[in-house]
Amino acid sequence: MNKIVVKRTFDMRIIGDWVAPNSRVLDLGCGQGELLDYLVQAKQVSAVGVDLEFANIAACVRRGVAAYQGDIAGFMGAFPEKHFDRVICSRTVQELSDPAGVIIEGLRVGQAVTVGFVNHGFWKNRVAALVSGRKVRNAVYPTAWFESRPANPVTIADFEDFCRTKGIRVARRVHLSGDWKTRCAVWPNLFAGYALYDLTR
Amino acid sequence: MTDDVEALPADSAPRHLAPGDVGLVQSRDFVCDRSFTFKNGQAIPGFTLRYETYGELNATRDNAVVICHALSGDHHCAGWHSPADRKPGWWNNLIGPGKAVDTRRFFVICANVLGGCQGSTGPLSTDPATGQPYGITFPPVTIRDMVNSQKLLLDHLGVAGVHAVIGGSMGGMIATLFAIEFPDLVRRVLAMATTARESAQAIAFNEVGRQAIMQDTAWNKGSYARDGGPRVGLAIARMMAHITYLSDASLDRKFGRRIQKQASVGVSDAQFEVESYLLHQGQSFINRFDANSYLYITRALDQYDLAHAYGSLELAFAPVQAEFLVVGFTSDWLFPPGQNRDIALALLRAGRRASYAELSTDRGHDSFLLESDELYGLVRGFLERDVVVFDFSI
Repeated sequence: MNKIVVKRTFDMRIIGDWVAPNSRVLDLGCGQGELLDYLVQAKQVSAVGVDLEFANIAACVRRGVAAYQGDIAGFMGAFPEKHFDRVICSRTVQELSDPAGVIIEGLRVGQAVTVGFVNHGFWKNRVAALVSGRKVRNAVYPTAWFESRPANPVTIADFEDFCRTKGIRVARRVHLSGDWKTRCAVWPNLFAGYALYDLTR
Repeated sequence: MTDDVEALPADSAPRHLAPGDVGLVQSRDFVCDRSFTFKNGQAIPGFTLRYETYGELNATRDNAVVICHALSGDHHCAGWHSPADRKPGWWNNLIGPGKAVDTRRFFVICANVLGGCQGSTGPLSTDPATGQPYGITFPPVTIRDMVNSQKLLLDHLGVAGVHAVIGGSMGGMIATLFAIEFPDLVRRVLAMATTARESAQAIAFNEVGRQAIMQDTAWNKGSYARDGGPRVGLAIARMMAHITYLSDASLDRKFGRRIQKQASVGVSDAQFEVESYLLHQGQSFINRFDANSYLYITRALDQYDLAHAYGSLELAFAPVQAEFLVVGFTSDWLFPPGQNRDIALALLRAGRRASYAELSTDRGHDSFLLESDELYGLVRGFLERDVVVFDFSI
């Protein structure tokens, strides 16, 4: 199992701990459906994912995860208040063109919104940018700028600010160190590699 | 749907023996001699459905895959009736041993719809009460009547469980309604290029077709001899409908503004290739389709409205147990992607399992017949899914 897959399983397990058994879960930017597949098997959730790519939807269908090809805002707009128990935005938020709109809409259609993102404030990213003077490239973002999708380099400090200004309640937060396993207790914006937030209204 | 999807060169090797093809197939007739009551309350003393099957029903009798055809389609969806056939069944690219709908695993059934004219009972059939064709005395057919009659065929064949119902366009409506009306029977629905209710535009196109038929004096209020009828009107209806199955881009690619080789300058002569193509489509259609059937089936399409019939789409889908995969095509302007999406969204609102996938094509409504590895992979994945058990030890 490669390093990324191992890293991935830890944030999946934390999200899994937050998800109630048999609940209704929506995954925004579900990719090939790994997370939902895990949640269906571990927590027997009723799951649906949303993604823009046909190949990702086909992969979800192949593994038996329900998935909808289309735009995230358009999808959520078709659902009534609190239709979902949990809306998950795992490694999606940095690529959204209107992250605030999506999170707020997620809080309308869901009881809770879970956001997971790579912390660009992590010290190694800061050092790398300072030393190389280039776009940060690492195990998670291995590509050069010209072969990458547009992504906001979101940090923990930025995200905390966002929740405060929008009046969003942070019910739970987990900051993981650079290994994405051990908890990071001090100065997370500098020492945490990955962040998970559980948001409610 | 169009006729020219799979026309193959006549000089190729014995095509019916090609690997992956079901080969030579035969149609059969299911004759139901009990009275059949239509949705509107009218009854006929019995009916026939012409159908084909490929593959074998398994010991548990639950590997049936029901294929539902579109407006002008029929029960011959795969294989060849004779080595001399010009082309195979209309979905031959999808169905066969090792293909996306794998006849080594599934018992595939396809029937010509009630009200049709390819061997199933419809307006062209003889009314036992008069000894004459039913004509327009045939009861109005609905999509639900098509479903109920096909359910009787499944009972006759001893099918205990339907692995999947698959259909495009009108076939998608039949497949969807199958899962609503017989929730215990149907485990999967694959509906493509379809809708839960036609838009005004689709009804408008159908009405132009019907008027072309009914305003042909040979229609004679639906009463005509088997070899006669409103051939001009039916051909025009088909020409117009055919355009709605394609797209601006696909017509342009196929014909552009190319001029007929022997084009005359007379205003009444076909000048562009696209004109003679459509004339040919109309002419070949009148040799295989009945004008009254066309009126009946287009009415069935127009009347189909799940939200109206059940109170709302969510109520319609409330009893569904099947898992749905709805597929839309970007260039389909007859049943556009949004109408396909609405089906999946309503299923999800009703708490059902549903997926929606969208293929980028420029072939228009008929894209569901496309030879596309992406589509084949999607269909196969839905029917045969990988079972990957997660390793919880990590």
